[in-house]
Amino acid sequence: MMGTREQTKGAVTRRALLGVGLLLAATSSGAARADGDTRAPAAKFVDDLGRKVVAVLRDPGLDRAARLRELTRLIDEATDLALVARLVLGRYWREASEAQRREYTALFRALVLKTMADRLDSYGGETYEITGVQRVDERDTVVSTRIQRPGGQPIAVDWRVRAEGGRLLLIDIVAEGVSMVVTQRSEVAEIAGRSGIDGLLQEMRRRLEGTA
Amino acid sequence: MRAKRTNFGVTLVRLAAGILAAWLLSMPAARAVEPNDPLEPVNRVIYGLNELVDVVLLGPVSEAYGELPSPVRTGVRNVLDNLRAPVTFVNDLLQGERERAGTTFARFFINSTLGLFGLFDVASELGHPQHEEDFGQTLAVWGLGEGPFLMLPLLGPSTLRDAAGLAVDQLAFDPFAYTASGDVGIARGVGEAVDTRHRLDAVVRDVRRNSLDPYATVRAAYLQRRGVEIRNGRSATGEPGYESIFRDDE
Repeated sequence: MMGTREQTKGAVTRRALLGVGLLLAATSSGAARADGDTRAPAAKFVDDLGRKVVAVLRDPGLDRAARLRELTRLIDEATDLALVARLVLGRYWREASEAQRREYTALFRALVLKTMADRLDSYGGETYEITGVQRVDERDTVVSTRIQRPGGQPIAVDWRVRAEGGRLLLIDIVAEGVSMVVTQRSEVAEIAGRSGIDGLLQEMRRRLEGTA
Repeated sequence: MRAKRTNFGVTLVRLAAGILAAWLLSMPAARAVEPNDPLEPVNRVIYGLNELVDVVLLGPVSEAYGELPSPVRTGVRNVLDNLRAPVTFVNDLLQGERERAGTTFARFFINSTLGLFGLFDVASELGHPQHEEDFGQTLAVWGLGEGPFLMLPLLGPSTLRDAAGLAVDQLAFDPFAYTASGDVGIARGVGEAVDTRHRLDAVVRDVRRNSLDPYATVRAAYLQRRGVEIRNGRSATGEPGYESIFRDDE
């Protein structure tokens, strides 16, 4: 089923600029900016990332390896993977030793990238539009998008963006209401609860060596 | 696959009534972050059996179904959705959503006539978009907690509340119930299972390949999806359980 979509990478378009423009207009006209409203910058951040990802997927000059390398770089730049790893480990983070935390964070990053590589061939042909921006608190903003896949139903995807140290970084992706952080937290808690943090690390290593 | 007939229904009612009583006596607290899954060992066994059925039967059948022309599959989906309308309508009303009930009623009327017995979703094009409600969602709107997570044989992930809701929908609200109308009911159940499995194919493959613990993934995804459905599409942003995760670094 997925195979037919692999050839459609050229057909990527984008309708988000209008949305961002409207948001910028809406937020700069009010007094909202005085308290450091992050909605417009967050929408721009997600749109910039989306545009870069779309460009990499569309670039006919890239072979599969180069495409993967570029996407990895983009995700690394835009995501606070160390924080995501920590949030996913939840209460077990506090129990982990410094060495365990270091190894876990490295393994987490490697597994995220492995999963992305595994999904790479099913990407292509997507278009997206930004449908809303919601400020959660002084740190976090959620940018909602609708992603249209060729020949499929549109998917609602929320991007949670955190402002830290003067920059914005992605910390969760919520597809059709299913949060990556919540879901992975549940997986990790199962394994850590059953076989401890060392057991979790062992399972992650095993996964990584598996089919990569 | 919602297949078996009367026995299944009677068993379900007895089961539902029994557990409902036990569980009303111990109303769960507000949604915690950790999943409520005291039956996990049993649930995991059932999950394994469901996976087996999926690998040998449902998966291959849904793959063959995927070879049908896309308009045919859309027609099947539309008919199945249309048959669901009465259940959605009753639950719209029970939730006090009169406007949504009106939409559901209009959809059923339009699609059953102009849409040739539901084959075409004319109503969506006329500005009446589809939504689904069930008695599990109604119970949630009424304030009932989800209760323990359940993995149902063949039917997949559920909760005590949602399983009880399903039984009520099937036995009380659904004029085209799987359990009541013989071969048509069976055909509908099979169609529902195959079509749903087909649409989830990419997700199923992804979970099998990339999840550290597929059972935990399915459970987490189900509970989150239900949350969104109960909130009529609103995401978990701002919900206390979800937000607490992102303050974990403080």
